[in-house]
Amino acid sequence: MSILEYNGGCVLAMAGKGCVAIASDLRLGSQAQTIAFDKSKVFKLNDQCFIGLPGLLSDSQTFVDKLKFRTALYKLKEGREMQPSVLSHVTANMLYQKRFGPYFIEPVIAGLDENGDPFISAMDLIGAPVFAKDFVLAGTSSESLYGMSESLWREGLEPEDLFEVISQALLSAFDRDAVSGWGAVVHIITQDEIITRKLKARQD
Amino acid sequence: TEDNMEALRQRNYGPAQYSAPNKHLIEHQFSPYVNNGGTTLAIAGNDFVVVAGDTRVSFGYAIHTRENNKLCELTDKCIIATAGMQADQVTLHKLLRTRMVQYKQEHGKEMSTTAIAQMLSNTLYYRRFFPYYTFNVLAGLDSNGKGCVFSYDAIGSFERYNYASSGTGQKLVQPLLDNQIALKNQQVERLEDLTEEEVVTLVKDTFTSAGERDIYTGDHVEIAIINKEGVRYELFDLRQD
Repeated sequence: MSILEYNGGCVLAMAGKGCVAIASDLRLGSQAQTIAFDKSKVFKLNDQCFIGLPGLLSDSQTFVDKLKFRTALYKLKEGREMQPSVLSHVTANMLYQKRFGPYFIEPVIAGLDENGDPFISAMDLIGAPVFAKDFVLAGTSSESLYGMSESLWREGLEPEDLFEVISQALLSAFDRDAVSGWGAVVHIITQDEIITRKLKARQD
Repeated sequence: TEDNMEALRQRNYGPAQYSAPNKHLIEHQFSPYVNNGGTTLAIAGNDFVVVAGDTRVSFGYAIHTRENNKLCELTDKCIIATAGMQADQVTLHKLLRTRMVQYKQEHGKEMSTTAIAQMLSNTLYYRRFFPYYTFNVLAGLDSNGKGCVFSYDAIGSFERYNYASSGTGQKLVQPLLDNQIALKNQQVERLEDLTEEEVVTLVKDTFTSAGERDIYTGDHVEIAIINKEGVRYELFDLRQD
């Protein structure tokens, strides 16, 4: 049993036309025992940046607090909001600082930059980043998510279609994972608005 | 110097150096099993069944061959597809072929798909304490001409399904089949049954996706379609990387 699998959970982010979507399941468990079904792994840092932190919940919560501190300080110093590409580099740097005693999280970042272009990235627990054009994901159902996303994603999805694609990919993928599931939440981020929806899922 | 280098090598790469009380008795462990990778899947239709398997055989990061058959035609109505260790796959297929001939001679007729399904389970369990490292999917037409698919674990636990997959790409493929064939998590209903062409297209798309993200899946896909006319084969190309 790996520490990254202790609490369970998964996050998926996809890029569309002028929009991004990021979604996670809602389960919190202690190995086989389910403790809560309202724990989203996606956190909003500002209107442009969302970060998903699957893995050990304790590290997720600690790390997001550190990130909130860093983004607030950035805003004070720079006088502008932190862009998602910057957040990605900052996160990677913070993770590598703990190279020999890492945070057990695998961040997934999604947002729109100041020009409205979609940005998604992910990294491993020691900060090796990946910048993708299509989708990024992490969590205990990662292989299932790869299979679903690779098949369902296509270029140029509008926000409503992107919502359908990301929802189907996430739902079908975590239904095959015992430690993920118990509901899901999806955020669709466009220039004008952020729409958050809860998905109806099997409660097992 | 040479001696220093040798000592360094021994210290860094030797197996039980850290815990061995003396450096003369070193425990080596021979593993009889290896995973040669690959993915298989089968989908049952109303009066047909489609079975497919990729043709790559891997050994770690190396490729042994791009031209291997995972499918074995047992009768004109039944095909077995096996992923896992290639050595056990060929042995198992050889054994089953032999049993087909024996059955035909004893009973004067071909073995039915459901009978083969049970026999495969028994054959695998026979080796309960030194299993075949095989993950099997059996597919065929039952005695009513309806498509059926059986999925097995390494020691013979099996169940009949409408669709199944196994191998290194199973985790990538299975949720897609749940979503597209059983229409799970979708509020739509299927008005007409899937046709052969639709299923074959789905199989090709599924393997293309699996080939993108699973390093052990690729090269070609051997697809077999069984219906009342017999068995028809197609070979579909995948990425070679």
